This record gives sequence, structure tokens and C-alpha cells, in this order.
Amino acid sequence: MRKRAIAQGIVASTAILIVGWQTGASGLSSSSAARVTRSATDSAPAQPPKTTQPPNATQQPNPTQPSNPASALPVTPSPATPETPAPATSTPPNVAAPTQTVKPAAHPAIPPAAATPAPASGGRNGTFTGTVASTQYGPVQVQITVASSRITDVIALQLTNQGRRSVQISNRAAPILRSEVLSSQSANVASVSGASYTSDGYLTSLQSALDLAGFK
Amino acid sequence: MTATQSPPQPTPFDALVATHAISVPDRRRQYRRRARIADLLVATIWASGAAAAALFLASGGAARFATIADGVTSVGVLAGLIGTDFILVMLVLAARIPLIDRVIGHDRALAVHRSLGKPALYLLLGHGVLLLVGYGMTSGINPIVEIGAMFDIPDMPLAFLGLGLLIVVVICSLVAVRRRFSYELWHLIHLLSYLAVLVAVPHQLSVGGILAANSLQRFYWIGLYVLAFGAIGGYRFIAPAVMSVRRRMTVSQIETVAAGVVSIHFAGRDLETLESAGGQFFIWRFWSLRTWWHSHPVSLSAVPTGTHARITVRDLGSGSRAISALKPGTRVSFEGPYGLFTDAARTAPKLAIVVAGIGVTPIRALLEDAIIAPGETTILLRASTIDETYLWNEIAELARQKGATVYTMIGSRAITGPGWMPQTDATRGVTLRGVFPDLADSDLYLCGPGAWVELVRADATALGVPEHQIHLERFDW
Repeated sequence: MRKRAIAQGIVASTAILIVGWQTGASGLSSSSAARVTRSATDSAPAQPPKTTQPPNATQQPNPTQPSNPASALPVTPSPATPETPAPATSTPPNVAAPTQTVKPAAHPAIPPAAATPAPASGGRNGTFTGTVASTQYGPVQVQITVASSRITDVIALQLTNQGRRSVQISNRAAPILRSEVLSSQSANVASVSGASYTSDGYLTSLQSALDLAGFK
Repeated sequence: MTATQSPPQPTPFDALVATHAISVPDRRRQYRRRARIADLLVATIWASGAAAAALFLASGGAARFATIADGVTSVGVLAGLIGTDFILVMLVLAARIPLIDRVIGHDRALAVHRSLGKPALYLLLGHGVLLLVGYGMTSGINPIVEIGAMFDIPDMPLAFLGLGLLIVVVICSLVAVRRRFSYELWHLIHLLSYLAVLVAVPHQLSVGGILAANSLQRFYWIGLYVLAFGAIGGYRFIAPAVMSVRRRMTVSQIETVAAGVVSIHFAGRDLETLESAGGQFFIWRFWSLRTWWHSHPVSLSAVPTGTHARITVRDLGSGSRAISALKPGTRVSFEGPYGLFTDAARTAPKLAIVVAGIGVTPIRALLEDAIIAPGETTILLRASTIDETYLWNEIAELARQKGATVYTMIGSRAITGPGWMPQTDATRGVTLRGVFPDLADSDLYLCGPGAWVELVRADATALGVPEHQIHLERFDW
């Protein structure tokens, strides 16, 4: 009788684990077709000084980020991913939005023909402030600067700040997200592993700013 | 050894069976059914552990092993989920749910409960340590400093408190430590585990991303808590309280059976509806100033009638001694009936009973209650002295009515030969198989002092009696 109990237990447990695994896998792929989760530790150079994120609009220093976005690709600290809009590889046209709140239609895709990660379409120049995305760990809001139809800067106005660990996480995640956004020229970037709330809020706010700018 | 009576006498039993007034149950089928449900219970425990891990996988956990820091964190999260699941399973096992009692009995349920205690603690300690290390590695600080950082997160101080309480509870339950406390004090400390489990809930919902708001995962997890605490509240507190109030049980008479042994007679209402099978026990509480804080797990020593029930106790502990001084009219509350030392646990066609001293009481009720055919049952009564032959006259009378054979053994334990019988019988070469020729086809019911019971059990096991045919009554919890 004991043998049957163990057999039943193993079968039931295995089935449950497989269901869980499948749910997790399909959940990941549905939220982002090519959402490769990268670890922040891979991008250690992007680590900012350990200061609390300034809640004002001053730009955060980011030594690794070159001022010229055109040359951003070679020095992007993160490993190349299918998402990086390298000219040679065509970005999948139907990459889903990284967060549910972002409309996929807002950024159809970067035309494969573009020689540089340059602007598909212009919109206005200037500074645009995204909406406040509220997360479990506090509000997140970003401001973008658009010049010559390119995102030239992303500034985090507010970041998840509830508790010291939350601040650590957002301080780690923000520069990574910023450099990703600048190189991909969209909100269509992977969220930073271990900082999914911050990432989701960041990218949600960013997308609303892009919409404001008419950035396609 | 003296045979006081032998079968076969014509009894009313044959007439009853012939007229289908009673049907003889198929013991083996009954047992197989019970064993199937028991297997399902075991499988469910496994599956619930797997489900805890599946919650993690469902939130995309399989992808979170890319770096060492992520791996450590993920293993820590898994340990927390599975450890908490174990704790909830432990609560369910200790909730005295009637289904679980009927299938495996409380003693075995509590044995499983105890065996999960340490693994659960290790998993939850691992959860804390691994997450401190994992988070620390991610943020580039050492785990000790990380503790400070964690304390700033809402709900985390409570989680640390829960872990601390759990450590206290498990340490107090280690055998060596538990012996130093009275049962009552130990039980009071043990109740802290409810608090420990509850204060850990907020951080599970707010800090981790696995049980996100409005998700199926959160629904399932909270469902587990509702199940565990609902079972505890319902079956351990509300149901016994309602039952006790309804039955209005009071002590009606204290009858001295022998030196140090009393029968307590209860008066009450609708006592026949207690639905206790003969051989089951209740946990009694006598509401007098000197006795109310002690609870006594004691078997009924007779099948209750509408207004009368009886237990027979020997003054073993200080609490039992105060019982014999109870005044008639004292209010009595109770929890139960519990236990599988009953006719329902039968697995084989024949019945063999070996009892010693005060262990006779559940057998007295079982014999009265059980449906047994003449010649099916053999009883061996054991006492150290003639003064300890409690209720033997009642057993003899019931045996006469039901066509059971009774043997008796009186004398102190043998020094040579089987230690569970008197020296005279051991010298004469009496054996367990000699007393019970059909032992291999019998259910063996044993009740008596723990060490003595173990001796008989070892003897039976050596004779090849399978474990499921041996039934013991243990009060060691």
C-alpha cells in the first residue's frame, strides 16, 4: 500500500510541477516574445553610485553611456539580445509590450531597413514627462528628451522607494533600463531581473511619454 | 495461565446473522478501502509540496537561475514556499479532522505531524538565510547588513518575528526539551506556532512577486491558510465546545474500582449520539478549580447510553489523582471521539486481544460494541497482581455473551523467556502463538504500559504478523 502512495505522490507532484512550469513559460512568452531576462550583475559597470535616487529632474550621471546615441551599440554593457535593433537582424514585428498596460500598437517595430537604430518616425522634439506608474513599491515616473526624432535621454523623476531594499533595487535597475532604452529607441526592452516592479513601472511611464511625443 | 471460558456455545449471534439482522463485515475489503484513502492522503501531502514549487515556476521562476545571486534567491524562495506548505499540512494533521482520524488515526496523524516539524523549520531557516545571501549578492552587500535593509521593507519585521517564534516552538518540541515541561506548558508554547504562521502571511503577499494580487496563485495560497485554520478552529475549538455545551455532561458518581483506580460516571443528555465506537477516547476536562487546566485523554470504559457514560482511570499523573477527588455535579467538557482502536480498524477475520492493567478499559468498550461471531475472538488479560484485575468480571461477562475465549495471566514480568508474561507461564513454555493459534489471520489489539506493549508487538512481528494487523493504543501525546 505504501508503494502505491509513493507512486501516486510522484505522479501527482510531477504533473503539478509540469503544469506550473508550462504556465510560467507561456506567461513569459506572452508578456514578451523575446523578453530575455538579463541579470543586472552582467551589467556591473552600469552600477550607479550608491546614493538615493534624486527625486528631481537632474540627470543621473552614467559614465558608461556615451552622449552620442548613434554609437551606443558597441558599448552597451548588456549582452546582445535579439531585441537589440541591430540593423542586420530584423526585429520581430509583433514583439509584445513588456507590460500589459502598454499598447503594443504604440511602437510597431523598428523598420529593418534602417541603417542605424534611428528614428522610424519623428514626432516632436522636446522634453516629455510620462504618467506616474504606481507599483507595489511606490510610484515610478520618467521624463524623456527627444531631439531629431531620437530619444536622447531618459531621466527617472520617481523610482520605487518603499524601504531601503527597494531603493537599492531601483538604483541598480534605472541605469540599465536607461541604456537599454537609448540603444533600442523604444520602451520595448527586457525588464531587469530582480527588479520587475521597477522595470514594469519604468517602461509603462516611458511608453506614455513616447506616446506624448508622438514617437513611433 | 488459566482459561476461564471456552467457546463454542450457541449464541443469539447465529440467529441474527441468519435473519440478516446483522451482517458480518468483510474486514479485508474494509481495510483495503481505508488503505486506499490513506494512500490518497499521503499523495495529497506530496502534491501540495509540489504545488508550492509550481507556484514559483508559474511566475516564471524557471528562468531565474541565470546567475549565482539569482539562483540562491530562487532556491530561497522555493524553500520558503515548500516550508510554509509543510507547516500548513502540519496544522491540518493536528486539526483532528474526523476523516483523517477514521483513516489513519490520530496517533499516526500526529506522528506524521511530528516528522514534518524539523524539515519545515530547516526549510524556513534556509529561506531566510538564502534570501539574505541572494539579495546581498545582488546588491553587493554582505548578508548581515542585508538584515538591516530587509527590516525596512514593510511586513518584513513581522516575518522575522514569525521565524523566531517557529524556532522557539520546534526547540520546545524536541524530545529532550519537551520532557522538562509539563504537557500544559508545552502545549501553551506550541500554540505560538499559530501566531508564527499568521505573522508570516503579510510578507508572502507583499514582498514576493509570486503571489501577486488577484492571481490564481494568491487565491490558492490563501485557500490553504483558510483550510488549515478553518480545520483547526472548527474541529478543535468550535465543534467540541458546541458538543460539550449541548450534552451538559456532569460528574454523577465516582466509584472506586481498586486501589488507585476509579470509574467516573457521567450524566448528560443525548449521550448515545456521541457516535463513539467502542475503544475510542475523548479528551476530558473537569471544570473544578483544581482540575480545569488539565486535559485527560481517556477511553470510555462502556458504550454510553442516553444519559450515562463511564470512564475508568488510574491515578498516573498528578492530574489524574485530583480526579478521584472530584465532586458529583462538576461540569465536564470533552473533545472527541478519537482513535482507531475500534472495530472499524479490523483487517482480518479473527480477533486477538492482549491487554494489561488499566489498558483493559478501551477493550471493555470495544468488546461491547463490536460485531463478532462466536469463536472469532480470543482475549488474553494480564495483571501484575490480583488487585490489578480491573473490570475483568465485566470482560468475562461480555465474552460469555459474545462467545469469546478469555485467558488470564497474573504475576510480575518474567526474567527469562518472553518478558511480557509472568515467569510461571514463561517457564511452562507458553507462547503468543500457543495462546492465539490463528494469529496470522487475526487482528491483534494491544493496550497497556508502553514498554510492555512493545514487547508483545515485537513478539508478534517476529511471528510474521503484518504491521497493519497490529493495533496499538498510544496516549503518548
